[in-house]
Amino acid sequence: MKILSSKEEILTKIREDLFNYDAEGIKVDVEKALNMGLSALEIINVLSDCMREIGDKFARLELFLTDLMMAGDVMKVALEILLPKIPKEKISTKGKIVIGTVKGDIHDIGKNIVSAMLTASGFEVYDIGKDVSASKFLEEAEKVKADIIGASALMTTTMPALKDLIDYIKAKNLRNKYKIIIGGGPVTKEYAEEIGADAYAENAVEAIKVIENLIKK
Amino acid sequence: MEEKILSPISFIEVLNRSLTGPAASEREFDYKVGTKLRELVKKYDIKYDPENPIPSDDSLADDVFKAAVEFYADVGAYCMDTERRITFTEEEIKEGIKNAPCTTLFGEGNEAKIFSARKLESKDPPWCHVGAGISVSSEELLVKLVEAFASIPETDSISVPTLMEVNGVPIRTPPLEVYGSIRMIALAHEAMKRAGRPGLPILNLVSTAASQIAGIAATAPQFGIKPTDGWLVDAFPDLKIYNDVLTKAAYLLNWGANIGACFTPLIGGYSGGPEGTAIMSVAYSINGVMVLKSRYQLYYVSNIINGSSSSRDALWTLSVSAQAISRNIKVPVIHLSYQAADSATEMLFYEMVAAMLACVASGVSVESNHPSKAAITDHIIPMESEFYCKVAHAVVDMKRSEANELVKTLLPKYEKDLSNPPKGKKYQECYDVKTGKPKEEYLKFYKVMVKKITDLGIPIE
Repeated sequence: MKILSSKEEILTKIREDLFNYDAEGIKVDVEKALNMGLSALEIINVLSDCMREIGDKFARLELFLTDLMMAGDVMKVALEILLPKIPKEKISTKGKIVIGTVKGDIHDIGKNIVSAMLTASGFEVYDIGKDVSASKFLEEAEKVKADIIGASALMTTTMPALKDLIDYIKAKNLRNKYKIIIGGGPVTKEYAEEIGADAYAENAVEAIKVIENLIKK
Repeated sequence: MEEKILSPISFIEVLNRSLTGPAASEREFDYKVGTKLRELVKKYDIKYDPENPIPSDDSLADDVFKAAVEFYADVGAYCMDTERRITFTEEEIKEGIKNAPCTTLFGEGNEAKIFSARKLESKDPPWCHVGAGISVSSEELLVKLVEAFASIPETDSISVPTLMEVNGVPIRTPPLEVYGSIRMIALAHEAMKRAGRPGLPILNLVSTAASQIAGIAATAPQFGIKPTDGWLVDAFPDLKIYNDVLTKAAYLLNWGANIGACFTPLIGGYSGGPEGTAIMSVAYSINGVMVLKSRYQLYYVSNIINGSSSSRDALWTLSVSAQAISRNIKVPVIHLSYQAADSATEMLFYEMVAAMLACVASGVSVESNHPSKAAITDHIIPMESEFYCKVAHAVVDMKRSEANELVKTLLPKYEKDLSNPPKGKKYQECYDVKTGKPKEEYLKFYKVMVKKITDLGIPIE
């Protein structure tokens, strides 16, 4: 029988806290782990692996949107303790993304899933909600120094607002500053190409892969 | 013990509760939905069985109904604008269900017909709601399509496609939606006249109007709308309602319009897996009765990953929720199934038949096919809509167990391709736009497909 060291034990406990969506538990165990001499980065790595696992389980529908949300909330609690302990230059995320549903569209469940999965995958996500104007997308992207803008539309009538968004960013001469990915029910790859988006994803699982590739480019 | 008599909950009282109900943020509501459903799935021991997508277990259907009542009494619906939950007691819910309309009269003249709630494994054919809210590129095509839909003998009501442009201007904002909607209604009426069925009801008013205000504006009687048509009023996932939706409902109820509660249960969303989503589907139906005062309902179950209604888990969720509604709520309900495959593909036919078997045996009526998840402009083929109706009529009186066996033979033919479905053809490639007749090549393909389906044991005329 393998005997776990106390450090391994506490990391296992932290994993369990995350998988059980136990915010109080993770607070206590993260503090304990730090007191035992584990570095904040080591703990974050373990938590990131867990979040990736949760994202994979969602892709197979073994877990669901509420699980993603709850895990994201517990992760946030842990990061509030851990991030201040890491020197700023050592903090790295996969990239910053501003995400929202376009002007006139209040359907946001698909966007919420992409947002939760991106967070789970280690991106810094700025979810600006639904019915968002083109200027608000750009304003937020400028403010947070985003790498990517993600926009969705669920209706054929609101889909042209995706083009408006790209045209607006072009008009402000900032098109080359951001990669833009679009998605939503009626949106197709062909439409994305037609309006000059950088990428398109049919669903949340694909979106994560596409965004990871976009960041590398 | 003397039975307590409750007065019906008026719509004004619903609006009052949207102001005075328990306060909650949207996130708190989403959490409540997820956690309560999880608890109820466990309490009622509801288990998804992938081996039997159409279960024959009445007690499962009844447990899902009981769980939905308990869920809706505890959680209710959520008003996004007031940030209040709209709640009802179990007694109020039971009384509301008892008094819900089990029939509604639609259509005029020769087309006047009563749409009734269906029973499980019923001999009565389902109500065939034909068409698609899919977008079309031109007014000419809209007329051709509606004429073709109205010419299908089994058609009981029409779902008019969505216009993309009016006078060459893309329909983008509510004022343009008003123009587009009025045009759409006029064109649909012209098409139904051409088919010789001017009294057919339109039950998807008003598909071209995305905004509620345009939907209201286009329904003035001067524009040709009839009281025997039907208006769809949406609850958003999961069980969220906006004030402008309630405004539309208030307007429609005040002149006695037929409201159709429209909802989209999503497997993988806040409601969780198939079990939680089955409960959620029934809760939406209860919400249609309690909040929206609907006279018919239209819903579409889909899987959040592949977006279709054809996956094994979606068929199970649809079947179980339909059975629960049919046995316990007894309102006229249509299920609209989204197919992953495109029009004019072999896979589409298998998906259509699987959906039809699940709907008809499980006690709901049907809306015709929506290929490519209704996402691609002009991708709708009237002969495929007719095929859908023929299958719907061919499988009446079928036992759930029999339908289950057939679905089990169909699923292996397509389920592996749900995430990467085949591309097909648009109307213009399969039909002569001028005559509105199918091309020879398409007819050949269609005949092959009908033979394949008939060989499975489904006798299609």
